Amino acid sequence: MNISEYISSGILEAYVLGDLTAGERKDVEDMIDKHPEIRNELAEIESTIEELALKTAISPDDALKKKIKDQINFKEEAKEIVLVNKPVVTNTIKYAVAASLTIALVTSYLAFDFWSKWQSTKSRLDNLIAQNQRIADDYNFVNQELQDIEADLEILANPDFNRILMRGTENSPNALASIYWNKRSEEVYLKIQNLQQLSDENQYQLWAIVDGVPVDLGVFDLSNDVMPMTQIADAAAFAVTIEPRGGSVNPSLETMQVVGNSGD
Amino acid sequence: MKISEPALIELLKNGDEKGFEYLYESYSAALYGIVFRIVKTEEVANEVLQDAFLKIYNNINSYDSKKGKLFTWMLNLTRNLSIDKTRSKEMSQARQSDNVGDNVYMLDHESTDIKVDDIGVKELLNKLDKDQQDVVELVYFGGYTQSEAAKELSLPLGTVKTRIRASLKLLRKVLSVN
Repeated sequence: MNISEYISSGILEAYVLGDLTAGERKDVEDMIDKHPEIRNELAEIESTIEELALKTAISPDDALKKKIKDQINFKEEAKEIVLVNKPVVTNTIKYAVAASLTIALVTSYLAFDFWSKWQSTKSRLDNLIAQNQRIADDYNFVNQELQDIEADLEILANPDFNRILMRGTENSPNALASIYWNKRSEEVYLKIQNLQQLSDENQYQLWAIVDGVPVDLGVFDLSNDVMPMTQIADAAAFAVTIEPRGGSVNPSLETMQVVGNSGD
Repeated sequence: MKISEPALIELLKNGDEKGFEYLYESYSAALYGIVFRIVKTEEVANEVLQDAFLKIYNNINSYDSKKGKLFTWMLNLTRNLSIDKTRSKEMSQARQSDNVGDNVYMLDHESTDIKVDDIGVKELLNKLDKDQQDVVELVYFGGYTQSEAAKELSLPLGTVKTRIRASLKLLRKVLSVN
């Protein structure tokens, strides 16, 4: 395997994502040592992953840092010991110093307190924004579903559409499906009530019987939706057969699942 | 103040608090993003991030710069902890006591196909085609191994590998443009 093939195999990405066995890692490390091109490519991939992580970063709660640091024993820096000659001070000055120290301490404490509250609010806001986006996504999803259902309902409730019930044949007595047919606009919709699951090689196909001849109205898979099918102006009956995926030119009548007369 | 990677590692090896501060400030959010998307609740994510930083700090001597960047090492360590946590029993218990906020989160995981859910991530993923999005969501954001992703998507492993590569190449361009 040459170097460009090696690179394009995706093994370096797997290496960066920690997705290799110890043996495979060793091999990659040998290759990095030997080939500067591979080392450069690896560095590029690592930078991309790092950029990606920085770009999609989420700030953790601020209290966490302190919690972690509390569990670490950092090496203490050698404390400088400064010897100062103590000046003689009067009591008044002592009180003044004590008072200003107190004020300084209280102020610093307040500043710190506000700062941490601000930080934690910020982090909560980030989380809320992310949560808000998730709710918006859900809303969009549900809204889309609703629109689909409304569109379906419009067809089902439209008096211009005739409902033709297709009942199960001897092949599957419990099968049931309906055709919604608008003769004026020639639109045909199919709604499955009950059809069995098919293997991946097969698909259902809808036929219209026109002057005793079956006409292909399209193939379909199991679905809860009201499905638009090929339009047709005249049909004495509708029927569904099982055909190889993609459909057939002529129906395999022995596989017929449901059939219904249009009443024309 | 910018500290170079070798200098930072030196500080950490010396047990210097400033080194840890810098490491945390630079990388905690990036790593937290990764953890949170895998473990999915704030409580567990906090726990994992804490374990990760302690482990990074305590094991800094086992990091070898010849084998890759510091971030890559930290990323893998953190991802592994996240994945272990997700698989552990603790996780299943935590899920049972989820609060409403977490339920909102789980809702879109369980009832829709939307897996990656923040704006920044979405924008990035939109630059990829659907096939690439699927693998990136699982392998990068979901903490799946490539073989697990191959199984989940019913794809040959080789295809997953090449899709990851193509996606990262594209993201590399997108990220450097920004």
